[in-house]
Amino acid sequence: MPAIEVHQLQKTFQSKRKAAGLGGSVRALFKPEYNSIEAVRRLSFQMEAGELLGFIGPNGAGKSTTIKMLTGILYPSEGEAKVLDFVPWKDRQKLAYHIGTVFGQRPQLWYHLPAVDTLILFGKIYEMDDRDVKLRISQLAEAFEIQDLLETPVRKLSLGQRMRCEVAASLLHRPKLLLLDEPSIGLDVVAKQHIRDAICRMAQEENVGVLLTSHDAGDLEALCKRVIIINHGQIVYEDKVSNLKRKYLTTKMVEVRYAEEVPAGFSINGVEILKVGHYGVKLRFNTTQTPVDSVMAHLSQAGEIVDITISDPPLEEVIAKIYQEAALTPVPSPAPQRTGAGGRRV
Amino acid sequence: MKSVSKYWAIFQTTLVNSLAYPGELIGRSLMIVPFMWIFYQLWNVTFNAAGTASINGLTLRDTMWYLMLAETIELSRSFVARTVSENVKDGSIAYMLNKPYSFILYQFSNSMGETVFRALMNAVFGSVVVWRLVGAPPGLSGWTLAFLAIIGSWILNFCTACLIGLAAFAVEDISAFVWIYQKFAFILGGLLIPLDFYPAWLQSIAKALPFSAMVYGPARLFVSPSLDLFANVIMMQAIWILILGLALATAYRRGVTSLTINGG
Repeated sequence: MPAIEVHQLQKTFQSKRKAAGLGGSVRALFKPEYNSIEAVRRLSFQMEAGELLGFIGPNGAGKSTTIKMLTGILYPSEGEAKVLDFVPWKDRQKLAYHIGTVFGQRPQLWYHLPAVDTLILFGKIYEMDDRDVKLRISQLAEAFEIQDLLETPVRKLSLGQRMRCEVAASLLHRPKLLLLDEPSIGLDVVAKQHIRDAICRMAQEENVGVLLTSHDAGDLEALCKRVIIINHGQIVYEDKVSNLKRKYLTTKMVEVRYAEEVPAGFSINGVEILKVGHYGVKLRFNTTQTPVDSVMAHLSQAGEIVDITISDPPLEEVIAKIYQEAALTPVPSPAPQRTGAGGRRV
Repeated sequence: MKSVSKYWAIFQTTLVNSLAYPGELIGRSLMIVPFMWIFYQLWNVTFNAAGTASINGLTLRDTMWYLMLAETIELSRSFVARTVSENVKDGSIAYMLNKPYSFILYQFSNSMGETVFRALMNAVFGSVVVWRLVGAPPGLSGWTLAFLAIIGSWILNFCTACLIGLAAFAVEDISAFVWIYQKFAFILGGLLIPLDFYPAWLQSIAKALPFSAMVYGPARLFVSPSLDLFANVIMMQAIWILILGLALATAYRRGVTSLTINGG
């Protein structure tokens, strides 16, 4: 049984349109005009149990709307979805026992209380045994290294510390599926790494499926095996993260240091020279156009190589490229339409 | 059993949370002190001018203890209308809906937890002042019956306020409704003037409305406890809780199915 099955899911919002200024406001009062915004368009995908799936896209792409439909908070305009065999918007409360959620921008821990109080409360809310809650808290405290933080009021924790507690709290009731909406937003590099490691470990140990939305390509590289990229409410790319890299990481950057000075007028056909120093060069080339071995041969002919670094462009650039490609394929723009006052929400 | 204990746990957690800033709690509760002092000045003059010891069956002492309890109820009311409307407006209702509890009962447990200590502090400070000004409070039966009626009053207030809060689904800003509700509670609930001092026709209208079951009922029961009055107050509360509770459940169901989450 797949953990998530989504078929032709669609969500259209109606938002009021108002011309600028007082006149516009008055007109909007009597003759409201509405824009339909298709936040999610005929989205279909599957996620297997225990899978780590990245769900990424720019702001307003429809990621959060999709997650909200999958947790049963929002009713879709059309289409079907099953999460752990529940129809989320019909069995929201039953589903809630089996999923954990973290919304990076919406803390669920009680701000004035120590995290352990919220954890105990969640234990009650998820109808767990008191003994089991204790056991689970100590397990999670170890996994997320929060033993020393649990008794400090949440307001006194740093953002990184708090997020570790948040994720731990979402795993308290041993969910089969974890929905993480921007869990690393605003965190520094170390805190991000910390939280990714803990999520990865917990997911493996307990076979929890993770659906992760993020702007951060690093989250994706560190956590996910497969990725779905959406834009304008549609899937623009869906594949394994490794294939994504293979397909799009065709540009290589090479930095070479030589034992002697670089010969004057250094150049290689089909290779972009980014920088030439006294003893080193930095260049970039596309592996589909210029074979790697010919570049390497040229480089070694130029002198004795002391050091060489070959690197891929960061995944952010790759994703940006995919967005750009998707943007070139025309998408019908939403036409303004007039509806009565009752048709405000769909 | 477990489903009840989760709401009890939510209540307890809010209770503890309300003690996060004890200074603020005490400071806010001290507000009742000047209120009672002003009321005493007003009613002392009124009773002297009328030249009688009692007006429509209430003495100055009764009136002051009545007002103390009425103020305690008013000042310790939870801000559930504002809380719920903010949950709706900023979209955080969405994040409360993905837990296995009923949103309405969650808010109820929450608002009870907020109310208890505030009511206690108000009653303590209010009693100290009124005791010094007009003498001993009513007997034990008054405290007991009033206590039960106050619980009914809180439930009734919750239904009304939560309904107003959910109006944010339709109108976004509910502060006008909160204001109107509060003024109705002031005048028709008998918060400033005991309903007994009103002309008969106005009394009968006021007593049929839910506001009097929230404020006047418990406070009146406090100063002249009787089982008849108690039964009357509880029945009025039960009827209004039923009506407003049904309205609340309907409004909630309709609101949630058409939910549009603000703020991505």
